[in-house]
Amino acid sequence: MTSVWTVAGLEVELERFHLGPVDLRVAPGNAVAVLGPSGAGKTTLLRTLAGFLPMRRGRILRDGVDVADRRPEERSLGYVPQGLGLFPHRTVEGNVGYAMEIADRPDAAARTRELLAQFHLTDLARRYPSRLSGGEQQRVAIARALAADPGLIVWDEPWQGLDVLARQELGLVLHDLRVTERVPMVVVTHDPALAFSVADSFIVLSGGRVRAQCDATTLLKAPADPFAARFVGFENVFDAAALAPRGAPGLRAWLAERAGTEGIAFASPIYPAGPSARWEGTVRSARPGPHGLTVEVVADDLLVTLRVPPPMTSPIPGPGDRVRFDVDPLALQPLGVRGDPVGAR
Amino acid sequence: MGGAVPALNPGPGGSSPAPPPRRWATGPVWLALQVALSGSLLALFLLPLFALFTYAPVGDLVSAAHSREVQAALFLTLLASGLAVLAALLFAVPMGYVLARRRFPGRAVVQALVALPVVVPHLLVGLGLFFLFLPGTPLFRFTQWIGFPVYDTVWGVVLVMVFVSAPYTVLASELSFRAVDDRVLEAARALGAGPATAFLTVTFPLALRGIVAGLLLTWARAVSEIGGLLILAYAVYPGGPYNGPVTSTVSVYIYDLFQFGDLADAAAVSSVFLFIAFGLFVLVRLGERSGWVPWRRGELVP
Repeated sequence: MTSVWTVAGLEVELERFHLGPVDLRVAPGNAVAVLGPSGAGKTTLLRTLAGFLPMRRGRILRDGVDVADRRPEERSLGYVPQGLGLFPHRTVEGNVGYAMEIADRPDAAARTRELLAQFHLTDLARRYPSRLSGGEQQRVAIARALAADPGLIVWDEPWQGLDVLARQELGLVLHDLRVTERVPMVVVTHDPALAFSVADSFIVLSGGRVRAQCDATTLLKAPADPFAARFVGFENVFDAAALAPRGAPGLRAWLAERAGTEGIAFASPIYPAGPSARWEGTVRSARPGPHGLTVEVVADDLLVTLRVPPPMTSPIPGPGDRVRFDVDPLALQPLGVRGDPVGAR
Repeated sequence: MGGAVPALNPGPGGSSPAPPPRRWATGPVWLALQVALSGSLLALFLLPLFALFTYAPVGDLVSAAHSREVQAALFLTLLASGLAVLAALLFAVPMGYVLARRRFPGRAVVQALVALPVVVPHLLVGLGLFFLFLPGTPLFRFTQWIGFPVYDTVWGVVLVMVFVSAPYTVLASELSFRAVDDRVLEAARALGAGPATAFLTVTFPLALRGIVAGLLLTWARAVSEIGGLLILAYAVYPGGPYNGPVTSTVSVYIYDLFQFGDLADAAAVSSVFLFIAFGLFVLVRLGERSGWVPWRRGELVP
């Protein structure tokens, strides 16, 4: 019984924090990832959807019916809080069967067995959550949420505290849920790779305001703010404040001219670029990594990150070296509204 | 022959077995000090009980256990303390819940008041209750009218016991209700549990261990009460749920024996009482270890 969920003009007023307005639409088969730095209001949004925080104005519609006044238990929404909120005093079986048990469903036992099998939990059925690994606990949480036949799954930080393998596995499970079972989902996450693996649309929150709302391609092509730009993998992100002119024309002024209201982002500059390259800086650090060498260069008081992919044909720069690099004007991504960001040109 | 056993996980270095994990080194002086201090306290706990057990011959113990008077005193004590525990369950646990989960003006004052009975000398508790229920006062008439007279009745015993022992249940249940993770509760609510169902299936079971610990303290405190009883309910006459002969609680009974110089009997009755109290305590602990009690499920216990 998946449903279409629409959030319109949702605003929440807490002590010293205002969230919204947020508009949102999730249909069966959709998954929305809520992105944003800590304190952006992601958890507040989720807890409001689940009915644990009062909203100031706006509507939450399930298949066109306003559920904003309903209590959490009447929203048929599978809310998984941060840290999962498993029942420590109930076995895996008891956790998964909880919703059906309190609803006195006659098929509770059979459905519990089915869910345990679906999530490879049958052998762990009699264990308590404290005896499970992180990945096993996540599977219990999702099986438990599905047992209530939720119209929407709302999950706060699903990947928290998982190792790399468990993260990938959970990504697959969530992707499966969305594609095969068509359960709509809203997930909060910090992890870009996993967000892209699960979600087909994104909301970027910052300071309680929606900074961007788009599908994955748009987010990649035109990140709206510095957070989104870092999230989609731009190595160099400068917000408008960092580009304020300091007199002499240089990289900073050149970037400021091309920035949007929120700043500017670009991937790795062209390096090595030969003696004719336009910009010069001093190497602060050079770290090898899985995708080559990451070199941090201070140029015109900006910290610019260069990525040198393998094979390493040129000499590897060390701290203190002077290096020259170029930035392709076509690779620049203005953030926010295109225009005059810093008031001076 | 130690070398014949192959190492399960030989390190990269070679065949020598890994040394046992180094334990925290304790200096001999420090260790001796710890042993001496803890040992002294243990001796203080155990030696008086030993003296009690050995003062009266075993035969006296058996005859004390068979004496009608002693049995009546024991029955009254267990009955009244049981009622006090029941009262704590009915009144003190909800109060602990309110203090843990509700914000209201004056909460800090209430919290301080709850601890008051713990610090008031118990003789004063008896005196206070005595003055409160003086014959002729409205409260006296009221208690007579509803059939719960307090002077020298089991109700008086229960009243004193609840006064001195209920705070332990309030404090313990407040702490354990506060320790229940809100997110676990929210998960239950989102899964379809109303507030009452969530309380019964999640909050209460999770807080139960602390509540039980509080109730045990309450019971222990109640059975050992004497100060307040000496004033309010020195002797208990049949009535209410108690229909035996005129008697008193075990503590008052022993005190009487001591007053009249009957030391052997005092020691014998004390020993019998100790056996029962200790037996109940061991029973609860065994239950907890064996896992059949419902309040330790899912815990990481060895």
